[in-house]
Amino acid sequence: MKHFTLSIVFLMLLSMPVHAAANKVYVDINGLVCDFCARALEKVFSRQAAVSGIGVDLDTKVITIGLKAGMTLENSIISELVNDAGYSIVNIRHE
Amino acid sequence: MKQQTLFAFSILFGVLVAADPGWGRPVSYTGGWTSMLRNNGDRNFFHVHYSPTARYSLGYKFEYWRQREYAINALQMNNLLRRWNAPDSQANLYLKSGIGSAYSNRGHFNDKFAPAIFTGLSADWEDRRFFFSYKNRYTEAGAVADFYAQSVRAGLAPYIGGYGDLHTWVMLELDHEPESEEQISVTPLLRFFKGINMAEIGFSNHGDVLFNWITVY
Repeated sequence: MKHFTLSIVFLMLLSMPVHAAANKVYVDINGLVCDFCARALEKVFSRQAAVSGIGVDLDTKVITIGLKAGMTLENSIISELVNDAGYSIVNIRHE
Repeated sequence: MKQQTLFAFSILFGVLVAADPGWGRPVSYTGGWTSMLRNNGDRNFFHVHYSPTARYSLGYKFEYWRQREYAINALQMNNLLRRWNAPDSQANLYLKSGIGSAYSNRGHFNDKFAPAIFTGLSADWEDRRFFFSYKNRYTEAGAVADFYAQSVRAGLAPYIGGYGDLHTWVMLELDHEPESEEQISVTPLLRFFKGINMAEIGFSNHGDVLFNWITVY
């Protein structure tokens, strides 16, 4: 009886939804030399529901895309958005 | 009445000030709006444009040429012909063209309107320390206007700011207008930008005060 009860509890725990922690995507970019022009990246990414925020590093040429918990952003969309902002992608890394 | 209107515009733009013929971003990001106010010793400009894609923009431009006493209202299309995104630099080549009308009441023109078209190329290269650009333009507006102009600019950032900082550039611009009385103008200027706003201020060798304001929405 005890084993049966424990099994039921274990199955119930497995069926409970897992809330994923917010994650980040790092994108290496070419052409990122101007703060004024780089504002375009904030503009295009802020339109995405999955994005909680974006950071731009002009020294390392990396943008950090913060994603809301449980949400994802496909690489194809990231590429399109970076191109819409006028830049070129070198590499995309998911945390 | 039209003279008063044109005079009012020149005062307005004189107060707003601005400078140089078109050093703002000709094409913005997809879905972006840009407004530019410009004034130098010879003319006042206002230009607003929208970029449906990152490859071209469509907009309206008003120009008032003070010495020549004519105004141009035009629809302008800017095309990004080519962009080179390198790890530590960016270069651009644009084609900028417009079509509209020119108006003048100077001398024998006597409230004359004429169709106006203009076109020209613009190229620039920059990294985080240096900036170089060149542009030209040919304007044809019947008997009212017919001229060619070109400019070069070089810039240096005295310090490298991080994202979000106030950025400063020291620049020197050389303008050449063969049909003008003052064919060559030399303008040292300072460029500042922070966030989505850019301002430029300078003084030409002819004593004209320059001030630009550009905002990207």
